[in-house]
Amino acid sequence: MGIDLQLDKAEDSVTVTVSGDIDMSSSTKMRDALTPLFQNNNKVIVVDLSGVGYMDSSGIATLVEGLQWSHNSKNKFRLAALSPGVKDVFEIARLLTVFEVFDTKEQALVG
Amino acid sequence: MAQPIKLSVPSDPKYLGLIRKVLQELLDSHDVPADTARRLILCVDEACANVIKHSYEGSCDEPIEATFTIEGDDFKVQIRDYGKQCDTSQIKPRCLEEIKPGGLGTHFMNEIMDEVSYCTNRAKGTLLTMIKKLKSELTSVQDKDKG
Repeated sequence: MGIDLQLDKAEDSVTVTVSGDIDMSSSTKMRDALTPLFQNNNKVIVVDLSGVGYMDSSGIATLVEGLQWSHNSKNKFRLAALSPGVKDVFEIARLLTVFEVFDTKEQALVG
Repeated sequence: MAQPIKLSVPSDPKYLGLIRKVLQELLDSHDVPADTARRLILCVDEACANVIKHSYEGSCDEPIEATFTIEGDDFKVQIRDYGKQCDTSQIKPRCLEEIKPGGLGTHFMNEIMDEVSYCTNRAKGTLLTMIKKLKSELTSVQDKDKG
């Protein structure tokens, strides 16, 4: 069981749409997709999680790397469309208020 | 259900999804509320991931044995591995004030479960036991059904 990733590049932003369950077996694939984006001149990275029903701590860890990139570069790393299950994991990790979280990817792109 | 459900899988991350599915079916069959089931599944998933990462140090063909028991009000899961033993007193959740990748799995287990204990009193490996009291969750569902 893996994940599917789709990248949509706009002028100075990129939206990464993830589908599937993110666990120890699949989080590396998400990390491999996100890491190069931190090197490019992206002002905003949006991760659309509407297709993710399950996420474990390895998925969270990957997204925290995005958050760190955001803090270090002053660019934006935003999450969109968290399912109730994924939102719950963020809440238990007490990270829901640390990330910029939006209901939709469209809202996340506007900010 | 006093008879435990036992599942043995290789220590390959690709089998984590299988463990989650089996546990989901089991919890569904006992009318465990979806929110509670999701959290219990997260704990078991994190425990097995820790076994792969720390006990077996990434080796994919070692055994992980998971035993699930629902008896009375208790959901009990035991995760047995035969890998490297660690100093269980050193297994601590990391400080959540530090925003950094990694180290959240142990926090999830301690936060969600009522009891978490590690036993290394054996020749090889570790037996992790986690218990969750289901009474309040099951009662709330039954009350909802009556209403």
